[in-house]
Amino acid sequence: MSTDHTELSARTFVDVHDIQEELDQVRWGLHADGEGSEAAQHAAAEARASVCNLIAVVSNEPELGEVMSVLDRLSVTNPSRTLILLAQHTREADKLEAEVSAQERTESGHRVSTERVILHAHGEPARHLASLATPLLIPDLPVILWWPGRPQFDNPLFDDLCELADRLVVDTDEGFDDSDLARLLEVARRNKAQASIGDLNWARLIAWRHVAAQFFDMPGMLARLAHIHGVSIFHGSDGQTAQARLLGGWIRSRMARVGIDVPLEFRPEDSLEHGVHRFLIYTGGDEGPARFSMSRLRGGRLSTQIRLGEQELAERTVRLESRATEELLGIELTLPGHDVLFEEALAAALR
Amino acid sequence: MAQAATPTITQNILRDGLILPRTPDPAAMVIFGASGDLTARKLMPALYNLALNRYLPSGFSVIGVADTALTEDEFRAHMEQAVQKFSRSQPVDRAVWQSLAEGISYVRMPFDDAAGYGRLAAELDRLDRERGTNGNRVFYLATAPQFFSVIIDRLGAAGIAKAGEGWKRVVIEKPFGNDLKSAQALNQAIHAVFAEPQIYRIDHYLGKETVQNVLVFRFANGIFEPIWNRRYVDHVQITVAEDIGIERRGKYYESSGALRDIFQNHLMQLLSIAAMEAPPNFDADSVRDEKVKVLKSIHPIDVANDVVRGQYGPGWVGGQQVPGYRQEVNVSPASTTETFVAVRLKIDNWRWADTPFYLRTGKRLPSRASEIAIQFKNPPHLPFAKTAVQELTPNVLVMRIQPHEGASLKIAAKIPGPVMRLRTVNMDFFYGSSFMVESPDAYERLVLDCMLGDATLFAREDEVERAWGLVDRIEAGWASQPPPAFPNYAAGTWGPPEVDALIERDGRRWRRP
Repeated sequence: MSTDHTELSARTFVDVHDIQEELDQVRWGLHADGEGSEAAQHAAAEARASVCNLIAVVSNEPELGEVMSVLDRLSVTNPSRTLILLAQHTREADKLEAEVSAQERTESGHRVSTERVILHAHGEPARHLASLATPLLIPDLPVILWWPGRPQFDNPLFDDLCELADRLVVDTDEGFDDSDLARLLEVARRNKAQASIGDLNWARLIAWRHVAAQFFDMPGMLARLAHIHGVSIFHGSDGQTAQARLLGGWIRSRMARVGIDVPLEFRPEDSLEHGVHRFLIYTGGDEGPARFSMSRLRGGRLSTQIRLGEQELAERTVRLESRATEELLGIELTLPGHDVLFEEALAAALR
Repeated sequence: MAQAATPTITQNILRDGLILPRTPDPAAMVIFGASGDLTARKLMPALYNLALNRYLPSGFSVIGVADTALTEDEFRAHMEQAVQKFSRSQPVDRAVWQSLAEGISYVRMPFDDAAGYGRLAAELDRLDRERGTNGNRVFYLATAPQFFSVIIDRLGAAGIAKAGEGWKRVVIEKPFGNDLKSAQALNQAIHAVFAEPQIYRIDHYLGKETVQNVLVFRFANGIFEPIWNRRYVDHVQITVAEDIGIERRGKYYESSGALRDIFQNHLMQLLSIAAMEAPPNFDADSVRDEKVKVLKSIHPIDVANDVVRGQYGPGWVGGQQVPGYRQEVNVSPASTTETFVAVRLKIDNWRWADTPFYLRTGKRLPSRASEIAIQFKNPPHLPFAKTAVQELTPNVLVMRIQPHEGASLKIAAKIPGPVMRLRTVNMDFFYGSSFMVESPDAYERLVLDCMLGDATLFAREDEVERAWGLVDRIEAGWASQPPPAFPNYAAGTWGPPEVDALIERDGRRWRRP
């Protein structure tokens, strides 16, 4: 697979109109100076596909590099206008810089063009970056706010950007404790909340949820769902429990819909390996006891097993994708509206 | 405190919010022709990718059936090699393959051997007991067409396909018959054992993402349907062009030709989805009802005037010299088999009355392209000076199936400058540039749909028979004509000269795809 990456221009501006003009130039390849002209002409020669505006907020320069490379890779599947906000609340003098560039990638014969603006603010402007971001967005396309790391819930910029965004994407695997989860839920449930919440950690649980649901798709198993009397979740002992809590919250919230309260047991395993290791669902009732188990194996696999009484049914091994950040973000970008399931799981995880 | 009554759960609430489809019931798939090319290239890699991505249920099992001397271990090894070679996801995950392979077995038997079906029944019973397949079976006929009837007959006689515990489905590859009579006979033979809802006739074109995208393009966007009719559309061109020859399929192609190989199935499918009305929903019968209505509405074809056939002679394609059809392996040096066919047809309904549809398909054409091109009528009045618009061509909306799947819209735009001059420009949308993700193979989608009991993307009995009826009419017309003077087009050209006349007498021209 060949990859081409062309930086069409990279300049520094401080005036929003200058930035807008430069954005138009790189978007439609109108540079007259010949800089990057071939790629620019390609971009101009055809209609552009853009799926959203993506705003990412970073708090320091090293993080900026990481976020840029994630967004570069994301642009292959989700061509977007990207604004990266680097807000530094230092004692330095007020300063605002902007860098505008366009990227063009060619993979397997397909060409994708995107443009990126990096807004770097020190001092007071750092608090008002939302006012600069607004006029730079492509009209009519959704605005996704990605906040890597733990969001600064008390920073006014957070509220301003949430108001601007259609979706806020965080990763609760990045050190979220219970109070962070509670703040996140509060944001999701604000009266006037426009932004729905997405969580990369929730997207990591898709395979676990899928396989757990599949157990009860099997003939004769649906009736057992009403007899779930316990769930055990084994997780790494590195202190990061948000993923396990969310998985537990998910099954508890689903079962609560039919009036069943599922007791959850969380067990740290003697391993520093991150995240959920095993997920066991116990059922009883007239059909007798059963255990539905999923275990994570090395090499990105999930082994699943059903035990009915003492009888082990067919075991199977499936893929447990270890998805890169851009893939998880890509999943979040395709989800429409409020993810009620996630919000319910989050609420149940905090009960 | 009194214990609360256990709630009754009627649906799997853990599935809420998961975009992935429900898991099929545990089932055994019996593949007839298991040592053949289709199984190795398409079926087994599709099953592996479905297993990898968690689409297959626990207990899913495969019984390979063929008359090739193989032990069970040899068959599994052969299948593993096939997956290694042809799977779209690489490298192959050994643990996942192993998990799938545990459910693979092999029964050696000639397809007409009644005793063999007894052994097959015993193996299916074993799977029901040991792997919980519960009588659910898919019989996949990946064999040469001459075996279809005999396999169905023997399955019926052995009682393997009998209704009882679990569901039974049969998948049949194309060609489904070679004329209306044989298709009806085959349908009759299959109906002696299976009811229509159990029959899944594959046209892998319908499993392609981009063909399904045509339906989304038409019916999920509000702006196209209002102009998708005789009032705004001048005509429609549907092309399935191949630059390759017949490869090593001379024996098959001699009895098939372009009419049976592509026109009867792929072109008819593209015609149906381009011309159909919006179905009320996307279930199997709603979609297929609308497709069949299109086929029913085709105005009787005047073969002498509305059909052109051709056969390629030697020529140059893509800078390479290639032989003519009659020089290909297993082809008669005096063959009159057509490798090109173009048809002009009309659809007699309110939407399309008097709007011609031009269809063409051929081998050894200059490029590979499958597309549906909707050419719109000219504006009723142009307020610009003649000199300003002399190069202007009508709006054309092209839905490209392959390659470069996507859509293009040809529009008029002003050339920058102090005077009013217009030119035509293309707006291209490349499906791959917005969704640069790997698409599943058509067989993955179709196999999964079959296991889930969704026949939307499979051809129904009446659909197949209608298409054959059209082919028969063309064949009959040809039979009454003198033998064609083949070859009549050079490899690397867009067909015989008559094909231009077919469209030019209507004052139109073929597109160059």
